[in-house]
Amino acid sequence: MDAKDILLGLPKPTTTPTPLGHQLLPLPADKKSRPPKESQRKPDGISREVYALTGGLAPLMPSVDVNHLKRRAQSENEKITWQWLPFTSSARKDNLQLYHWVRVVNGVPPSGDYSFAKYNKSVDVIKYTDDEYEKHLTDPMWTKEETDELFDLCERFDLRFIVIADRFPTSRTVEELKSRYYSVCRAILIARAPAPGDIAGHPLVKDPYNISQDVERKRALSMVLSQTKQQERRDAEVLAEAKRISEARKAAKGTDELEVPAMTDTVPDDNDGAAAAVDSLSPSPNAQFTSGAIAPPVSEIASTLASLRMMRVYLRTHALEQMVQAASSSAGLRTIKRVEQTLQDLGVNLKPKVPTKAVCAEHLELRKEILILLNLQKQLQYKEAEGSSYRDGLYAETPGTPPKRVQRAVEQDRTFVPDSFSFGGERMGKRDQKRKAPGRLLEGPPSPAQSKRPRKFKASDG
Amino acid sequence: MPQSSSSSKKHGTDQPDIGGPASKSQRTKMVKSSDDTEKKNLAKKLKELEISVPIVYGNIAFWLGKKASEYQSHKWTVYVRGGTNEDISVVVKRVVFQLHSSFNNPTRVVDGPPFELSESGWGEFEIVITLHFHNDVCEKPLHLYHHLKLYPEDDSGPMSTKKPVVVESYDEIVFTEPSEGFFSRVQNHPAVVVPRLPAGFALPPPVPLEDADKRRRGDTKDHTLSQWFSNFSEADELLKLAAARQQVQAHIATLRRQLSLIDGQHQQLKSASDIQV
Repeated sequence: MDAKDILLGLPKPTTTPTPLGHQLLPLPADKKSRPPKESQRKPDGISREVYALTGGLAPLMPSVDVNHLKRRAQSENEKITWQWLPFTSSARKDNLQLYHWVRVVNGVPPSGDYSFAKYNKSVDVIKYTDDEYEKHLTDPMWTKEETDELFDLCERFDLRFIVIADRFPTSRTVEELKSRYYSVCRAILIARAPAPGDIAGHPLVKDPYNISQDVERKRALSMVLSQTKQQERRDAEVLAEAKRISEARKAAKGTDELEVPAMTDTVPDDNDGAAAAVDSLSPSPNAQFTSGAIAPPVSEIASTLASLRMMRVYLRTHALEQMVQAASSSAGLRTIKRVEQTLQDLGVNLKPKVPTKAVCAEHLELRKEILILLNLQKQLQYKEAEGSSYRDGLYAETPGTPPKRVQRAVEQDRTFVPDSFSFGGERMGKRDQKRKAPGRLLEGPPSPAQSKRPRKFKASDG
Repeated sequence: MPQSSSSSKKHGTDQPDIGGPASKSQRTKMVKSSDDTEKKNLAKKLKELEISVPIVYGNIAFWLGKKASEYQSHKWTVYVRGGTNEDISVVVKRVVFQLHSSFNNPTRVVDGPPFELSESGWGEFEIVITLHFHNDVCEKPLHLYHHLKLYPEDDSGPMSTKKPVVVESYDEIVFTEPSEGFFSRVQNHPAVVVPRLPAGFALPPPVPLEDADKRRRGDTKDHTLSQWFSNFSEADELLKLAAARQQVQAHIATLRRQLSLIDGQHQQLKSASDIQV
């Protein structure tokens, strides 16, 4: 009888007092309700609750092939018994005798020390004599009692300074305790060494414990750990920016000294851009990047150029790919897809068929301009949304002429500036007549006159 | 020579011209240091230049028609040639074509121009083309990846033994920070695009490659397959790009106007709603 049967019970129960308390017993007449449960019967060998952990279904595949499990060697030749035997451990100082199960092979119990005794390690804490203390270890900040107490605790707690600090009678910080301990050890080491050269390599002598450094380190660590996410991001940005700038500046040092114009003239331009970005960055580290796409890619581009230069040899298509990535580094996947859609609409290959230096440069510039365009479109949408909220407020008050004008202008904006880039047939030369082609991109009523008029309307509306 | 003394006045040490035997040694010292500074300037200059080699790589495949068997249905040639069919062996020492493992000795090494490999088979697969350059050019090899194409894109009627399937890709190898030797060796070669050095820089005379005289003609202008080579002209693409950029720029200007307009209208609305309230 398992738990589910007890708890859920069955219809028409007969409550019978049993040793387990009230229990609902199944009646033989209720066979109808049984079959559905029967089909979901748990398999034998595991309790229903354990089986339910798998989701009530058998696993699709056995997790471990039983054949792969190693068989214990020689299990046929030998007689294995398990006996409850006493044992002692060399790790204990009292002679406490405990008992445990022992695997006995052919009547021979295993020999040797308790297998876990080897893990009982402790630290060898230095012991100094009173004489040595008088000679080398006196310190204005520490009494002999305190120092003795410290060393005793160190011995007991295996140099676990946090515990020692907790147990120390007078209140001392962990760093103070460490400092005292290590300086004492160092002094003893130097005093006991037959010649100074012997211990010159010892880590305590070479790099003594520096308490102020340790305090500072812990403070800085706690600061880093308690930074908010935004702070982290900002720090990372600034650091990356600084790195790019310094790299780019190093590359630019060669060009600055010569008076002749540079052959690869993209490098100094980007350096200027990068320097300008840093200048705008440093006085206002907390300022938001409103035209967000501009500043970060400049550093990406500069570092990409630098890394390409390092490669010594590369294919121009590869270089273009890297530069495109760098330029779109601040854009999300959707934006990148929109850029590619725009390129297609413009009839430009996503990857140039003839990637010469000039073509690649133009391609990159085109992509950057499209990014700016998409950014502006987004800004326009936001502004329109703002505008509509204004309008709603005004309609509640007076349906005067100003709102209507705004509404007309804004709606015509929407008609004219659909999400995807359309060319309304105005500039595509021969395609002027076929307005159907870009029609799918145009959102509002597609009459040609309307699409032509809004621009002129707005220009004079000023 | 006259150049070096004038440039020494610009960059070199400012030593007055004192008469006497001491001055002679000083003058030679001046000339030497000016040579050094000029060398340094040249080196610095070369560090920013890039030398590029336009290349075209791909394959041409002929269906064997009646002579085709199950495993040898096509005869194909994979190759790397200069972009204008000039001889790229001035830069490329050898090319390694890595074929599908089902081929015998799938690693085929071609030591001189024309850098091509012909085979027969039935399958399409990716070929890794590794370009190894001369020692003064670059020590690192460069890899190209080409998908061998045998079957035409569209199933337009029966296959012809006369018209091959041709797939070519244009690209340019860019060498950054070229060495002096490399620069001077290739500066007048038709296969290589070399930027002009600014006036006043003199390069040491070029050292020709070891087997330059033994070399057979390496350009592909009269190659047997040259009639199938594609023509890659940057003019078309440049034109398209320029037109596209113009459109985008105009649209950007329009949007900017619209944005400022809306800003103005919002200001109006704001003041209007203020009055209402």
